[in-house]
Amino acid sequence: MGILSWIIFLPMAVACVLLVLPVGAKATRNGAFGVSLIIFALAFYVHEHFVPSAQMQFYEQYDWIKSYGIAYRVGVDGFSLIVLMLIATLLPSAYLLLWHNERSKSYWISMLFIQSGISGTLFSLDLFLFYFFWEAMLLPVFMIIGLFGSGNRVFSTLKITVYTIMGSLFMFVSILYLGVSHYYEFGAWSFALSDLVRISSLTQAQEMFLFAGFMIAFAIKIPLFPFHSWLLETYSTSPTGGVFLLSSIMAKLGVYALVRFTMPLFPDLFVAYARFFIGLGIFGLIYFGIAAIVQDNIKKMLAYSSASHLGLITAGVFSLNIQGLTGSAFLIVAHAIATGGLFLLVGVMQRHLGIRPLSALGGIAKRAPWFSVYFAIMLFCTVGIPGTNGFVAELLIVLGIFHYNPYFGVLAALTVLVAASYMFWVFQKAILVQSGNDVSHMRDLSFHEIVGLFPLAFLIVAMGVYPDFFLAKITPTLHYYLDTILHVGANA
Amino acid sequence: MIALGCIALGAVLLMLLSAMPKVRMEHCSVFAFVTLLIGLILTLASFGELFTFFPLPKFFHKMLIVDSYSVYFDAIILSGALVTSLIGTHYFQAKRHFKKEFFSLFLFSVFGMMLLVHASELLSAFIALEIASLSLYVMIGFQKVHDKRVEASFQYLVLGSLAGIFFLLGSAFVYAGLGTTILGEMGNRLDTLMGKDVSLVIIGATLILATFLFKISAFPFQNWTIDVYDGSSLPVSAFMAATFKVAIFGFILRLMLVDFDPIRDTWDTLFIVVIIATLLYGSFLAIIQKSLKRMLAASSIVHTGYLLIAFVSIGYAGESAASSIIYYLVAYFLSAMGAFGLISYIAADEHVRVTYEDFRGFAHVHPYMAAMLSVFMLSLAGIPSTIGFVGKFYIFTGAIEAGYTFLAVCGVVATFVSVYYYFKLIALMYFYPACDSDWKDVPSLKGITPLTIGLIALAIIWGGIGNTFIAYFPGVDFLIDTARLSYMSLFIK
Repeated sequence: MGILSWIIFLPMAVACVLLVLPVGAKATRNGAFGVSLIIFALAFYVHEHFVPSAQMQFYEQYDWIKSYGIAYRVGVDGFSLIVLMLIATLLPSAYLLLWHNERSKSYWISMLFIQSGISGTLFSLDLFLFYFFWEAMLLPVFMIIGLFGSGNRVFSTLKITVYTIMGSLFMFVSILYLGVSHYYEFGAWSFALSDLVRISSLTQAQEMFLFAGFMIAFAIKIPLFPFHSWLLETYSTSPTGGVFLLSSIMAKLGVYALVRFTMPLFPDLFVAYARFFIGLGIFGLIYFGIAAIVQDNIKKMLAYSSASHLGLITAGVFSLNIQGLTGSAFLIVAHAIATGGLFLLVGVMQRHLGIRPLSALGGIAKRAPWFSVYFAIMLFCTVGIPGTNGFVAELLIVLGIFHYNPYFGVLAALTVLVAASYMFWVFQKAILVQSGNDVSHMRDLSFHEIVGLFPLAFLIVAMGVYPDFFLAKITPTLHYYLDTILHVGANA
Repeated sequence: MIALGCIALGAVLLMLLSAMPKVRMEHCSVFAFVTLLIGLILTLASFGELFTFFPLPKFFHKMLIVDSYSVYFDAIILSGALVTSLIGTHYFQAKRHFKKEFFSLFLFSVFGMMLLVHASELLSAFIALEIASLSLYVMIGFQKVHDKRVEASFQYLVLGSLAGIFFLLGSAFVYAGLGTTILGEMGNRLDTLMGKDVSLVIIGATLILATFLFKISAFPFQNWTIDVYDGSSLPVSAFMAATFKVAIFGFILRLMLVDFDPIRDTWDTLFIVVIIATLLYGSFLAIIQKSLKRMLAASSIVHTGYLLIAFVSIGYAGESAASSIIYYLVAYFLSAMGAFGLISYIAADEHVRVTYEDFRGFAHVHPYMAAMLSVFMLSLAGIPSTIGFVGKFYIFTGAIEAGYTFLAVCGVVATFVSVYYYFKLIALMYFYPACDSDWKDVPSLKGITPLTIGLIALAIIWGGIGNTFIAYFPGVDFLIDTARLSYMSLFIK
């Protein structure tokens, strides 16, 4: 077993052991945290030994269902590397922030299973395997929301499950169709990405349908504009950990899969429909931005603001140039850190104050200075204040869109500023200004939480000040995507 | 073949034994179990080899055949029966109304099913079908709880006999058209008749297909399913849903693949309509059910729909579609057996009803049982990491390979709908606090029944994950390879 397999299966194995052993919630939590640290070490090792080139590295392959050419194929390239580092850094922090929150064993077990699912999805180079992890990942999410959520959790759990499964089943048919096409064209079964991209026998109409199958699955997960109706309920009923995973990791995996699979499989359609998807992305940016302004619940507001940024990321991916693509990769990381941090902080606040509307908050800064400082840093990153990584990312994306089409570029530039500025208003109202509301139960962050959030805050600033260091390993891969797969040239 | 004889002998012996007053019900149960076990061991001896022959040709005149294909089905049927008797142990003891003859009938029905997959002639197939059905009619009536039991038994008897008549009439037509009822020879005659008028054969084969559709409860012959499953005791429902369907498919696949191959595309349109109607109507029925048993019965109609998708794909993607049917049968058999079995275990005490609402908060009282039930539901819904997912993968791939992408999409839509009614149970079990005291009657996990069910759950997960890392242990690949092997044995001349 190679290092990637360890990263995938270690959490799952530990979860199984902990599930059977008669240990309590605390021990399980400590175990989960330990595993996440080990995973971080492994991921760091991968990062250090990763050669900056477009090649798949740390490749592993084991036969699985031989008669259909299905194998366990995993590997990592520049793009998956950056997401891997993101996940490996975020999870230990998240565990530290959730430290006192969840006192149930099954919560931590679910978290471990989810971690396995995420890594599996990230490394899969076989479409069957990818689908396997993509869908299996849903079960622990289902459990975590249904068991630990609040409000009308059962309904919203069923809703998100049915919704996402619907999307993935269309993708499933597309995957099968590709496999069969490969069989008819080459006389052998295979579901490996590198084999399926060679298929040339599909007609335009067939490609359209298959492309749509993939896009629906990813659009639901991200979520893109018409497929977002699960978002609000799920985010507002989920426990903190669930929201954190959905917003800062699962949604990003949707964008990741978009680049990893649809781009090489359907390069022509990807280019042909770029305009449409940029439009959809910018529309989402504005639409969700407006939706966020009118929310009175901070969690719901963050949910919409997160969807709004994902619209921008999607637009950047489809801008088909190196600025846009790099910006998107960068914003995936920046936004995951910032939103993840914000959701975790809101979770801490809810633990002290209960679930409250925005209008019942205020004056938190005085009671909880550490909390407020971290909150401010995360917030600045989301808004894109210069000096944070959010600024770099958004600037690159807007540049990329501008290159693609100046009108879109202007629109994106304006709305990025407008759609994010409401965050200041929230910060002012909820944290800074004394409003006379009783917030005396608010406590400042504990030592765990301060330590847990430090890496995130550090990264926000470091990536904002010195982005080149973090881009060095992924740029070759992104160039490869553009030049070799899409044939659009680096600066077209 | 020896296995077949062994079961027949066991059935007759058991019938005689059960007349003795000294023999108690437990003895009969053990006797049946041992007979089945011996049969299975005998069957497994020749499992996984490629061969075909007619046993005792002077005596049987090609009425029976033994090949890898029938042995494969024997193995499934026998394991099904074994699992039924293991799972039923607790139920049969808890419900005092099971008589000793029940086990003799049980063996007879197993014998009928095995005979059916060995049948190489239409009339012997009919006899086998009736042996299996008649035993089942009585087995359905063997309970005292449900006031609908007589209705269920009688409904199945009347409708089943009607369907049986179709089979006989169909055989007569086929004989009139071809001059033989022996499988293999029918195909050869049909080949020589190509280009000429074969409408008699087509009419005959259509009638036979109608019987087949009735027995697997496809649209428009599905109406009996829910009532009959609901009216019979749980182990019997499980036996019918999982094992009997396997046997029926075993015979009809042989008939279609070998003999009616030249005229098979006649029914393509008909089958497409039947499939879509089966999936739609089955899903609709499953959604509206409140009782778990009725939901499982309705969902068995949907699973028939999936199987028929593969069935119609055989014409254009023979090998993968045929082996996908066989694989899916195993997958469905495991999941349905597990689900029915576990529910029968929970409901063995008569105070517990089995509606969805009864399972509110079940997981907090009985975590292991809830986990197993969840595994079965996930497998039935076809979620990855279960065998049901791999089964669906084979079926849909076969359909797309055959050019029926549209049917694969229909299947996917039905799967998507099924997520609702399967996940509803999981949500109810886990996401609500435990209700007061309804679960005191549920037996704790002891004895052979829960052990079997637990093993089935493990097998389901193993079948879905397979042998990536552990070599030399049969997994996904092994099952599909033997299925292909058994398919090949059909075409040895």
